Amino acid sequence: MGETATRALGLCLALAYAALIGWLYARQPQTIAQVTGGLASVVGAYSVDDQAFADGLRFFRNDQFVEARLAFNRADPAVRDARTQFYVAYSYYREGWGRLYHDDRLYAEGLRAIDRAIALAPNGRLVVDDPNLGMHTAEELKSALEAGMRFEASDLNPMRVFRKRK
Amino acid sequence: MTAAREAIVLPVVFLTVLLVGGLRVADRTMLVAPTPYLLVLGVLVVRVLVQSRALAPDRLMSSSRSALANVNGLVVVATLWIAAAQTLAVLIPQSGVPRLAFSVFFLILLLNTAAAAPDRQRLLRSLAVTFGAAFVLKFVVLEGISAPGETPLKRALLALVDGATAGVLIQPPSHAVTAYLAFFAAALFLFGVLLLPHGREPSDRRLAPLSTDVERL
Repeated sequence: MGETATRALGLCLALAYAALIGWLYARQPQTIAQVTGGLASVVGAYSVDDQAFADGLRFFRNDQFVEARLAFNRADPAVRDARTQFYVAYSYYREGWGRLYHDDRLYAEGLRAIDRAIALAPNGRLVVDDPNLGMHTAEELKSALEAGMRFEASDLNPMRVFRKRK
Repeated sequence: MTAAREAIVLPVVFLTVLLVGGLRVADRTMLVAPTPYLLVLGVLVVRVLVQSRALAPDRLMSSSRSALANVNGLVVVATLWIAAAQTLAVLIPQSGVPRLAFSVFFLILLLNTAAAAPDRQRLLRSLAVTFGAAFVLKFVVLEGISAPGETPLKRALLALVDGATAGVLIQPPSHAVTAYLAFFAAALFLFGVLLLPHGREPSDRRLAPLSTDVERL
């Protein structure tokens, strides 16, 4: 290989490696699956496991939220799919919802998941057309999660026990 | 120096230092970039390397080289700078008085090294000893002091040290692999510095006219 070719190859290699490191610093992936999935999504080669997603939906509709999240995590191991993250956030909302009080820990997890979903959605807009859901947009779900974590005067209203879970 | 070393090996070595040195393994693994202060210290490291001729910048960038070769040289210098900052970052404790002391210590040490103007060999030895000492202080001494006690006696000693120093010496617990990563990053940085295109040693300079005469003969 000639010197010019070696230098050009080296420059491309260094730039690609630097870009990879920059991406890792920006994304802060926690698992190898997130690294590989993230890189695959950069080149448009990432896809959700449809079977695992269908399993997750089935569990979700049966109110088996822990099982649903396990299946959703299997479907989207790299945490790159906005719709799956929306359902993960929704599972935290439904699991944490209560007539007398909401579980702040689960709501906080849900808030993190919906923030991820919004970040992944094109232009931050996410609409899920699922007739089984009471909220169809990321904004509605995020607002419900945030409201659930706040203590307000309406929380003392005894009529809240008649509220319905969305 | 071969083109492959300049264009491929050195950038890869220094970028690997940046990657490995930035890893902070804990409950949540994070990549931490060097702070602006450490970037300034990184500049000082590059300065002393140039001053001691451990790095000959004219062998990386000059008007006699092609544009592509100069870009390769620029990449080497840029990655060396970032890697130097990251190596210092990995050797500086995470918090408290030890962090402040190490930060000031490295600044004074680099200024002192610049004032002493050592040759390449002495600078490389000095860097190896400094990094080694900082590694031992951080990962052996401070880790030992900060490690959670397994026995009642050790827990009592830890409480005593913690109380006597008002908690300023105790470091957050780190994963066992952190020390290995730090050692690898520091060693790789020194290896990269060793591979840098360097100027002639003073002894070489004395022999240079003689070798030229021999060539003429």
